Amino acid sequence: MATTALDITTVAQATPEQMAAKREFAGALVVVEGIDGSGKSTQLYLLKRWLEIGGYRVHFTEWNSSPLVKSATRRGKQRRLLTPTTFSLLHAADFADRCERQILPLLHGGYLVLADRYIYTAFARDAARGCSPHWLRNLYSFAPIPDITFYFRAPLDVAVNRITAGRPKLKFYEAGMDLGLSLDRAESFRIFQDRILNNYDQMIETDRFVLMDGTIRVNRLQKVMRALLAERVDLKRFAPKKRSSSRDKKKAG
Amino acid sequence: MASAKNSHSQSAASRNGQRGKSAAKPNGHGNGPARFYGTPLPGVNPEELSGSLIVVEGTDGSGRSTQISLLTEWLESEGFAVETMGLRRSFLVGEDIDALMAENAVTRMTLALMYSTDFFDQLERRILPALRSGLIVLADRYIFTLIARSAVRGISRDYLHGIYEIALRPDLTFWLDVRPEVAFDREFKKSQTISYWESGRDMSLSNDLFQSFIRYQSMIEREFEYLSKRHSFQEIDGEASVADVNRELRKKIAWHLGIRSTHYRPSHALAHLWR
Repeated sequence: MATTALDITTVAQATPEQMAAKREFAGALVVVEGIDGSGKSTQLYLLKRWLEIGGYRVHFTEWNSSPLVKSATRRGKQRRLLTPTTFSLLHAADFADRCERQILPLLHGGYLVLADRYIYTAFARDAARGCSPHWLRNLYSFAPIPDITFYFRAPLDVAVNRITAGRPKLKFYEAGMDLGLSLDRAESFRIFQDRILNNYDQMIETDRFVLMDGTIRVNRLQKVMRALLAERVDLKRFAPKKRSSSRDKKKAG
Repeated sequence: MASAKNSHSQSAASRNGQRGKSAAKPNGHGNGPARFYGTPLPGVNPEELSGSLIVVEGTDGSGRSTQISLLTEWLESEGFAVETMGLRRSFLVGEDIDALMAENAVTRMTLALMYSTDFFDQLERRILPALRSGLIVLADRYIFTLIARSAVRGISRDYLHGIYEIALRPDLTFWLDVRPEVAFDREFKKSQTISYWESGRDMSLSNDLFQSFIRYQSMIEREFEYLSKRHSFQEIDGEASVADVNRELRKKIAWHLGIRSTHYRPSHALAHLWR
């Protein structure tokens, strides 16, 4: 299955050498992935704060947030009209909108783009709903490959507890209720997340994920994340210009 | 490739299944039921689909909608239940696409994927149930228009075929072919103007609207020529009279359905279409 996917999605599966050779962007793309409750959003937020405070040219983008397709997504979810295929296509349309109007222009314009979830979320989640992995790879083949993808991994129990503890009620699609896995929402959520986790794990090598242990203390993990980023991405490209930094110092003092 | 092999054995299996129960079915001449291009949509068993999917394709002003109205009436008078589908008619996103197109903010890829959402919402929630119940589905445009429109805007044809490989393969696909100049006359007569999207103005082909329309529709026509070969369209001269085009369509559909009578005169309600 993986070999047939390669035909169409050379873009999404390029090696680092291929990536360097075809770097067409002045900017860089940093992605965090992982199941709900794996700690990825917290870590990306801290990374973003670190870069912002340092004055770097940085932009943050989130999965499922384009205003253009928001009303359709809301209608589909509220009335439970979505099938695995239309769920997937609607999210792809949402992503295409952000990709063409935000991510690509910012990458061309020399920004460090931080993405909370990316195409791998669709690969893991939509495949767990029954979409063909080959079809999904093609669907997202227009997406630029990240310079680095942090994959936050926490044991299923830890992740599920983090989510269910802080939330009164899981949403229908979030819990995978459309799949008929269980009539109990919490149980359905657990089974669904387990499937997604397995799909993520299968991408670790093919998509060159950087594995992050989501059970490590937040500040220690953040230190590791910053070091890994600096190693992989030449941050000087995004650093503030000399002149403006001296002005900032004066202001701060 | 593995997927091609799959669909092959599947279609062979469903053909055999069909032969067994062909006595109970209206289309008894042994044509296989609707099948998929590649892997079927998740959760669909192709063998359950006993109805027929008939597609009418053609550019703006080719007379598709007129013919579909007439064919619906004819089929119903012959005792067949008919369901129709078309672009932007899904409950899920039909109106959202209208809104997106009214603004100029939407990009080609987003629009292409919204159209595919619209297509699959209709297919999964309306068309497949209809085909399971043995209805005849008349499609006013299908994946081919969607592929052609995106392809002329530079989206890869392989990419587009990849998205629609989970769609149903029609039993019959008619292409009402008209020259862009004729299409222009008809469209202008209809609405006294030429719309933004029909003339492909998002592509900056020409500031002259007539030139823009002709160039855009010619590009679409070239895509259709390519698709016609790849998907074995039945080409019909869309410049012939409404009655002639309709007779030709009825002849071919009657043959597919295994019925003899193709005599038809439109009712009073549709007489105005029969010019």
